[in-house]
Amino acid sequence: MSSASEVAGREAVYRLVVAEDAYLIREGIRSALEREEDEVEVLEYCPDLDSLLRAVEEHRPNVVITDIRMPPTNTDEGIRAATALRENHPEIGVVVISQYVSPHYALKLFEHGSAGRAYLLKEHVGHRIQLMEAIREVAAGGSVVDPKVVDVLVEARMRAKNSLLARLSTREREVLAGVATGASNAAIAESLFLTKRAVEKNINSLFAKLDLSDDKATSRRVRAALLFIADSDLEEKSDV
Amino acid sequence: MNGSAVSRGAGLGQLDLETELREYAFGTALEKSDLVVIAVAFAGAVAAVAVVATGGVTSQTTAFSAVLVTNIAALALGGLVWRRARPSSAFGNLLLAEGALVLVSGLAGSPNSVLYLIGMLAVWAVALGATWLLLVFPGSRVTGAAWIVMAAALGTFLLGELPLIFMSSNVFGVSGITGCATACPANPALAVHAPAAAEVFRRVEGVLQATWGLGLVCFLTARFAWASRARRRLTFPVLVSAAPLVAVFTINAVVVDLAGVHPGSSGIEIFAGARIVYPLGFIAGLLFARAYAGEALAFMARKLVGRPSVAAVEQLVRRVLDDPQARLVFWLPRSGHFVDRHGTRAVLDPESAGLTWRAFGHGDAQVLAVVHDVALGEDPELVEAVGAASLLTLENRRLEHDLLDSVDALRASQRRLVGAASAERRKIERDLHDGVQQKLVALRIQLELVRDLARENGLGERLDGLATDFDDALDELRSTAHGIYPPLLADEGLEAALREVARRASVALTLDLEDVGRLSEDRETAIYYCCIEALQNVAKHAGEDAVASLRLWREPKAVRFSVRDDGVGFVPRPGTRGAGLTNMTDRIGAVGGTLAVRSDPGAGTTVSGGVAIDSDRSGDVVGV
Repeated sequence: MSSASEVAGREAVYRLVVAEDAYLIREGIRSALEREEDEVEVLEYCPDLDSLLRAVEEHRPNVVITDIRMPPTNTDEGIRAATALRENHPEIGVVVISQYVSPHYALKLFEHGSAGRAYLLKEHVGHRIQLMEAIREVAAGGSVVDPKVVDVLVEARMRAKNSLLARLSTREREVLAGVATGASNAAIAESLFLTKRAVEKNINSLFAKLDLSDDKATSRRVRAALLFIADSDLEEKSDV
Repeated sequence: MNGSAVSRGAGLGQLDLETELREYAFGTALEKSDLVVIAVAFAGAVAAVAVVATGGVTSQTTAFSAVLVTNIAALALGGLVWRRARPSSAFGNLLLAEGALVLVSGLAGSPNSVLYLIGMLAVWAVALGATWLLLVFPGSRVTGAAWIVMAAALGTFLLGELPLIFMSSNVFGVSGITGCATACPANPALAVHAPAAAEVFRRVEGVLQATWGLGLVCFLTARFAWASRARRRLTFPVLVSAAPLVAVFTINAVVVDLAGVHPGSSGIEIFAGARIVYPLGFIAGLLFARAYAGEALAFMARKLVGRPSVAAVEQLVRRVLDDPQARLVFWLPRSGHFVDRHGTRAVLDPESAGLTWRAFGHGDAQVLAVVHDVALGEDPELVEAVGAASLLTLENRRLEHDLLDSVDALRASQRRLVGAASAERRKIERDLHDGVQQKLVALRIQLELVRDLARENGLGERLDGLATDFDDALDELRSTAHGIYPPLLADEGLEAALREVARRASVALTLDLEDVGRLSEDRETAIYYCCIEALQNVAKHAGEDAVASLRLWREPKAVRFSVRDDGVGFVPRPGTRGAGLTNMTDRIGAVGGTLAVRSDPGAGTTVSGGVAIDSDRSGDVVGV
């Protein structure tokens, strides 16, 4: 179990390759990362999928930050890059940055395993804590989902009457959302002003209510929670 | 008949119709030539009577002039009727010519020997003309076997009678026309008095005349026996009315001329009566044909109620025309040729296989043609009736067809419009995503960086507020762009896009989504929006506890969807569709799809629909 602070304590230097085709965003990322130069080193900025894959071979970074929609096809190059890297360089963490709040891409990113993958909204790249947390998590094999993506989902599911989420208490829902973002128990405890023990109790009860197995590996726990929020409601009732 | 003549069908304009009705009821106005014919016939008849009355040679002056006048009248009447009824036929003119010859033959009643000779020659011409009329009816030219009879007739005159004129003082008496057996005027053409030679020619004449008469009997009988029904309808009255004349003539030839038995006066009266009667057959034939055509038209009209298929109409045409080869062909104005009912091009060659054709339409615009046996050319009234009835029936079908055509065209243009609109929406979404949204995102990043720096200077709180406003603006823009055209639909197709819709749906929803592959953009958009609209309806109307199910599946030739709920339902009433439902129907209709809504109070609502994917446009299914 690795929390962000533990990773930072090791004073690891993250060697990055960044892929983003839009100039303005690229410059934004550059400014954001320049702030962190004692912790982060950017080896190359790439404008498309091919140059990204080539740069990875050349520099062997430990983290890749990539846009989803890039040349050549402007569809899901970022996801494809993440899939390809899991195959060839499983040790490299990938932070996919996107303008889409849609969980579709997050789930697609996790389709072949969630370890070392993060899904971050582009507008939060400037948010120092979120960005660095994502980089640290994926480098350590963890998973992160932008809280906003989870919020949107939870909100929609809560609007739906009869939703399984409605069986949870408000506190349990908040904890579940935290789990889905990839936050550690400690981080959840901190953000909700709870004790770590209380968070663990909530997790146990909500996972029992939802019939989910609480996986000790955070990355898998994230995926299970996210999948549950996004889809389980739907699939579960499909044979009704 | 002229195959390319366009017959006048039902006129559309009121004026046309009126004119046609008047013509139908009263006939067309008499033409000048008709008036001339009537005047000449009348004057001729008067003259004939005058000639006979002033010192007539015959003992039967009254009978002679009566025969003459009625014969002229009958032939003139027949001629006029024929010219009127069948303007394209020369037979009417033949009748008039025959009438003129009869007129001239009136001179045979004159005591003047030259006039008498001319009159008697005209009598011969009348006999030859009558033979011609009977042989050619209802045509105008002698053909085939009829030439044998005609040759015998001409031979009788040229080889028998004509030489006799130059060598016998009493040549015409034997035919007994005027009855001047003993007191005829002298023969002015007499050149040599040679009784022996004359007897030889008289024999020759007798034999040839008998051949003529018997040949005529055989020919008319045989022709009637072999005739088509149409021709029989026409020739039967002629056969009946000409039978006395032909019989008397033949008996006269065999018994009087050949056997030398002199006829009594009753024989002459029968002959005179037969002459009066026979032209009426030509008129009666025509009336029979017309009456039959009228009956056929009424029969067809009775059979053609409702909306008979083209095949049924064609079948009826065959039955009424009694012609198994008859068929209907339809004019394609744009292609400039006829097609049969299967749409195969029909080549109309007047020469081919004993078939001919007649076109029907409005004014100069032909619509269809009846292809029929050449023999039916003798029954134009029938073909006309059949063609007009077919035209009337199928004209309605054509209008219907045109209407369907324009509905198709309308649908196509609707499809183009919707297609263009959805392409435009997609472009706007891309522009927003790649342009404004991109820039805002970049600014948002910069704002965050600035906020970090500003915190130390106490500007942090104000910038926090700014950041929140910024996020709101970004959210709004994002949802606007998504509403304009969902990027997932464009990138990944229906299944992924609908799954995403379900995730954000505010109703409890079960999913059964099949990967239906990619369809054309307009089809995908249509199905997508119908599903969204239906889900929104569930959220709005189905009630608090309603659970909906969304299905998407692919059939061999269609992609189908359904949105079902177990909510309160409603009573569907025609004409009370909401804007939402109308919208859905329009969208799906624009891509040639269908939509159905079923609902019952308490039993929920089901909206289902489908879009065909086997259409003519290739590349419809981009990938499966």
